[in-house]
Amino acid sequence: MEQKKYWKGLEELHNTEAHQEIVKNEFSEELPFESESLLNATTPRRDFLKYLGFTTAAATIAASCETPIKKAIPYVNKPEEITPGVANYYASSYTIDGEFLPLLVKTREGRPIKIEGNTLSTITGGSTTAKAQGAVLSLYDTARLRFPTIGGNETTWTELDKQVAGALAGLGGAPVVVLSSTLLSPTTKKAIGEFLAKYPGSRHVVYDAVSYSGMLAANEASYGKRVIPGYRFENAWTVVSLGADFLGTWLNPAEFAKGFAATRKINAKNPEMSKHFAFESTMSLTGANSDYRYTHKPSEAGAVALALLAAVGGSVTAPTLDPKVAEGVKKAAASLKANAGKALVVSGSNDVNVQLIVNAINNAIGANGTTIDLANPSNYRQGNDVEMAKLVSDMNAGAIGGLVVYGANPAYDYFDAAKFAEGLKKVKLSVSFNDRVDETTELCKYVAPDHHFLESWNDAEAKPGYYSFTQPTISPLFKTRAAQDSLLTWAGNTTPWVDYLRNEWVAKLGGIEAWDKALQDGVIEPATAPAIGGAAFTGDVAGAAAKISSAKKGGKLELVLYEKVAIGNGRLANNPWLQEMPDPITRSTWDNYACISNTLAKTYSVQLGDDYEINLGRKVLKIKANGKEVELPLLIVPGIHPEVIAIAVGYGRSEKVGRAAGGIGKNAYIFSSFNGTTVDYFAPEVTAEATGAKYDVALTQTHNSYEGRPIVKETTLEEFKKNPHEVNEDRAELQKFGKDFRKDATLYHNYEYPGIKWGMSIDLNTCFGCGACTIACQAENNVSVVGKEEVGKAHEMHWIRIDRYFSGDENNPEVVFQPMLCQHCDNAPCENVCPVGATNHSNEGINQMAYNRCIGTRYCANNCPYKVRRLNWRDWNGADSFENNLYDVADMNDNLTRMVLNPDVVVRSRGVMEKCSFCVQRLQDAKLTAKKDGRPMKDGEAKTACQQACAADAIVFGNVNDKSSAIYKIRNEEQTERMYYVLEETHTLPSINYLAKIRNKDAEPKAEKEAAHKEEAHHA
Amino acid sequence: MHLKYESTLREPLVDGVKDYHQVTEDIISPIEAKPGKLWYVGFFISLALLGFGAFSVFWQIYFGVGVWNLNKTIGWGWDITNFVWWVGIGHAGTLISAILLLFRQGWRTGVNRAAEAMTIFAVMCAGQFPIIHMGRVWMAFFILPYPNTRGPVWVNFNSPLLWDVFAISTYFTVSLLFWYSGLIPDFATIRDRAKTKLRKHLYGIASFGWTGSTKHWQRHESLSLVLAGLSTPLVLSVHTIVSFDFATSVIPGWHTTIFPPYFVAGAIFSGFAMVNTLLIITRKILKLEEYITIGHMEAMNKVIVLTGSVVGCAYLTELFMAWYGANPYEFDTFFKYRAAGPLGWSYWIMMTCNVITPQVFWFRKMRRNVTVTFVMSIIVNIGMWFERFVIICTSLYRDYLPSSWSYYRPSWPEVGFYMGTFGLFFTCFFLFAKYFPVIAVAEIKSVLKTSGENYKEKMEVYEEESAEKFAHDVAHAH
Repeated sequence: MEQKKYWKGLEELHNTEAHQEIVKNEFSEELPFESESLLNATTPRRDFLKYLGFTTAAATIAASCETPIKKAIPYVNKPEEITPGVANYYASSYTIDGEFLPLLVKTREGRPIKIEGNTLSTITGGSTTAKAQGAVLSLYDTARLRFPTIGGNETTWTELDKQVAGALAGLGGAPVVVLSSTLLSPTTKKAIGEFLAKYPGSRHVVYDAVSYSGMLAANEASYGKRVIPGYRFENAWTVVSLGADFLGTWLNPAEFAKGFAATRKINAKNPEMSKHFAFESTMSLTGANSDYRYTHKPSEAGAVALALLAAVGGSVTAPTLDPKVAEGVKKAAASLKANAGKALVVSGSNDVNVQLIVNAINNAIGANGTTIDLANPSNYRQGNDVEMAKLVSDMNAGAIGGLVVYGANPAYDYFDAAKFAEGLKKVKLSVSFNDRVDETTELCKYVAPDHHFLESWNDAEAKPGYYSFTQPTISPLFKTRAAQDSLLTWAGNTTPWVDYLRNEWVAKLGGIEAWDKALQDGVIEPATAPAIGGAAFTGDVAGAAAKISSAKKGGKLELVLYEKVAIGNGRLANNPWLQEMPDPITRSTWDNYACISNTLAKTYSVQLGDDYEINLGRKVLKIKANGKEVELPLLIVPGIHPEVIAIAVGYGRSEKVGRAAGGIGKNAYIFSSFNGTTVDYFAPEVTAEATGAKYDVALTQTHNSYEGRPIVKETTLEEFKKNPHEVNEDRAELQKFGKDFRKDATLYHNYEYPGIKWGMSIDLNTCFGCGACTIACQAENNVSVVGKEEVGKAHEMHWIRIDRYFSGDENNPEVVFQPMLCQHCDNAPCENVCPVGATNHSNEGINQMAYNRCIGTRYCANNCPYKVRRLNWRDWNGADSFENNLYDVADMNDNLTRMVLNPDVVVRSRGVMEKCSFCVQRLQDAKLTAKKDGRPMKDGEAKTACQQACAADAIVFGNVNDKSSAIYKIRNEEQTERMYYVLEETHTLPSINYLAKIRNKDAEPKAEKEAAHKEEAHHA
Repeated sequence: MHLKYESTLREPLVDGVKDYHQVTEDIISPIEAKPGKLWYVGFFISLALLGFGAFSVFWQIYFGVGVWNLNKTIGWGWDITNFVWWVGIGHAGTLISAILLLFRQGWRTGVNRAAEAMTIFAVMCAGQFPIIHMGRVWMAFFILPYPNTRGPVWVNFNSPLLWDVFAISTYFTVSLLFWYSGLIPDFATIRDRAKTKLRKHLYGIASFGWTGSTKHWQRHESLSLVLAGLSTPLVLSVHTIVSFDFATSVIPGWHTTIFPPYFVAGAIFSGFAMVNTLLIITRKILKLEEYITIGHMEAMNKVIVLTGSVVGCAYLTELFMAWYGANPYEFDTFFKYRAAGPLGWSYWIMMTCNVITPQVFWFRKMRRNVTVTFVMSIIVNIGMWFERFVIICTSLYRDYLPSSWSYYRPSWPEVGFYMGTFGLFFTCFFLFAKYFPVIAVAEIKSVLKTSGENYKEKMEVYEEESAEKFAHDVAHAH
């Protein structure tokens, strides 16, 4: 046979030296496990057997550990608009109870998982609140009704429609009432109108759980319009808040926070900011952010308003007030007058007379038509207390044939819920559209559950011409039906609601394309912003003043009801995220309680101090007012008036409302009362006595003072103007180490970050502490809910918390909020102590966690000076291999609830450490998008969840190596005087800087300030 | 045979009239007899404690570290306190066996066996804590640097916790070898005396074919010296490295350069106290008062008062530095939240037990009083437990940011775990006392004829001799 030689190349043919070399080294690079030493080892066979034995044994052991199997089912037919792994955004709106927040809803694989603000809206500019951020979880609430019921039994929609139609027909002309909370949707109202028209004599009653009826009535009396004006905080250089928590719960806080924040942004080149006075009974979020704050009893709210009117030149006599408050009124009036036309007074009172006096003040200071826009009023609240009272008495008189409840829950939150429930029994036909078996729905025969807003079609009109739309982001999860569909069906209109709405808008907009665009944008606004306009003030000031003066004086102890920022009026109470969000002021979770001052607490032998800090148990008080009584634990809240008890509404829900809300706290609405025109949310005569019992309240922060440590830096505007560097003068000490503290203060090598270097800046001046960031982070990063007991053990998991510190007078302290999250230190103390290298630094400056590698020694958390690391103390997510050890107090692991999880972020198993990641999944996404487009990433493309949620834009984030980025400018150009790093002197080199807080108040002499610090340290 | 002449002024190391056979009888016969009632009671109490500890650990591993009362601020509590405490106790054994051997301290022979056993058991107990305290204990093997398929992912050699792994495992290995090599001749003695087949067989295996030949003895002696040389630096290094867990951190109260010597002194302090506790019980129960004499206890009490004072100095130095260093965070930690504040009581327990009460040992009468020594040994160990608690918890609970300040009380599984290690320790110790010679028979024999009471008495003849004659005899000895 011929011996042919085949060659692949000339090199082989000639067998060159280079070729021989290549043949010898088939693998040009060394394989990691086949190093020279191993291949040439003297006993490779034995080693081989050893490895074989070890790997077989290891594999056997590993294989015998059963890990939970979760099935992922791929699409059989892929929907056109869904690409797995790519998020879709749909515009929507949050309009629950009249709050107005245009939204963008992020959906992944057809599931809504995150809510963002819609930046196209000029009203909110993309702001969100904690409640709106949490609303996505309510979609997956396991306590939602899953089908229509009749008398508590499951039924079909056909059957329900048949029976309701029969019942409606059998009313014999008796009127039907649609009882709803504030509805912003004009088309829904039209549908309600159609329904009511079918049953003559019927009416629509709007009822708000926390009523603004007094304000509406006062505006009717003052301006002839029963409206809530538009408030333009961005134009107000003096803001006086008379118990109106406009940053936390009043009307539409996200909008106002945005406006107010615009006047609080300040730098050394332009050292001007608004001045904010607060007069209030309890410590609200707004009061906590004021420059001057005064406390009064709730029964004195009218007197304070009168005194202010007198001081700004109104023709009323000022009542006598506590000298401190009187001094404050004088100061506020002076500032209001000085800023006439750029000033605003807002009041949280639901009393017509008080609101009328406030209108008179605003008229006197030129707010009418500058900061108060009556030409473009808002629809935020429409409830009418008188109509509601009439409805309840009509019901009790048997004059109402049918009641259709739509988003209202008076059996829980009406001041006389028992009477409402009694009346409901006399109503022949009772229908509820509510999404769960709440206190009212429980009493209704027919339950026709409405969709969640993320499953529905709707529109909303905040102000004339300003619309926002709602479209489904997911198919209805359950056999629910849009309330509008139900109403239309019962009105005999066979048009489905979606067509009804579309027809309406196509007609209005003049074409289907315009409608599609409107849905895509989410909002429709006038092309040019309508001019701000006032209205002639015609209120009867003298009459109102007389009524206020003759009002009953309060007793020794008074009670005031308030809404918590997260829970609000209680509508979203069954939301574990919101329940676990620490209250901005009290830092408590999962409860309501009797807030009292330290002075009052001392009468119950309790006071702030070590004992109070280290024990969870709080003395329980029995509180009696208006003939009702409630037992609640006391909680000391510095800044509350010493003769006032404050209780949050929204708690004490029935067990059927859901596992998170059911049975938590007590219902405080029972202490509200009706004064003939409006509901009062305070009680002037109250007694409270200790029962001897104790009750645990879970706080996330127990120490109130920052002990004068330079972790928080603040100064006054006057001092800042005088010497902008003064607030940061201690930073000069770092110069002792050399010119560049970063490089010169260490023996070790300095790592450069040549590419991207992420950085964040947090402005303490515009962080109002509302907590939207906390919930946004929780939603974005699948942060676990742990429940009250575990929060009590300080096991909460939040990646971003808002530290709240008090300083100064214990009964009227100054407050500062400091968002605290992983500082992504470039010289991170956590990184070098991890024995397994589970936490390390990226070349973009991110301190990252390898969860799979973490063994949970907690050394990193101990060594973190900022205490931002969170261990998974228990199995919150069912993510370990142990059976029956799941710790889940709020159904967070139900297959339904788990749909809210962000698939880009892994859930953490028990025993591993976690913490803020700078939303690394978002940063990667932004980088990849830019890369695919073949361009550098632009500033603002990568946003963290906390940054995006913040209504006040207090958080700025970006690439500090990019000289055009906002973060670079803040650090190097705009805010060099205010910028500092927390615990900078420890040379941790944080990636997050803070901007010092500036209070717009008179400078105190330095000695006095130091004395105050000492005092505060003593009290804390 | 020692050619050493020891003055009768020196206290005998073995009391009573003994010869080699009597020594063997005294020490070995308890192993051959049935244990007494007290032994059973003690053993079963220990087993019960061990069982409860195992249950507590199971509970924690099953439901998570969250069943402990540690939290976001205080990541270490009883777990690491107990770890450091047990490691500290483990120091006395090596110190006695290694350093005292090198210094030719004859008195160590009476106590070294039990002290070394204590070391081994204490380190076994200590080792439980850093392992079980992990959030994912089933991944504990991640801390071992071994070639793996994960990248390969390596351990972090910067972490003091990793240094601990090496320090403790080395220490344990060397201590075990040292202890066991000393046991071999004694095991052979038991084997040779054995009257049952099983005993003969088991001790035969344990004694590795020891015949007592000169070559065996020569090798044994060299091995002892080598191991003593190896373990001497370990005595200093182990607790130094443990102290690095704290000293290299940034937490005020931890970040302290004085820690290494301070920890080592504290470890010896607590170790000697524990040796005293155990030996007072052992000599009583096993009737070994003639081998573990008052003189032994006095020697150890001297070490206790010395190291206790060193530790006291360290406490004062810390306070001074907290003031002198002018770091406001450190100042607050020491003066506001350690010496005062909600956990201040623990600081004052520590101060009382470790610094004030040991000063009674300046008095000879107290040093030689068995009751005082026993009570003091307990007090010192309580004090040293609190020292670790104070260092760990009072530094963590109120550190930089007041918003995160917290408080700490142990939960039942934490207490149970600690009790469990007592169970483990005493279970081992009871087994040791029953099956192992608690005193090194061979070593006692080696000092018997120079330092035994009845031999010393014979020396009195020589004591009365004139120095010239003694010198002459020595010079002309054949």
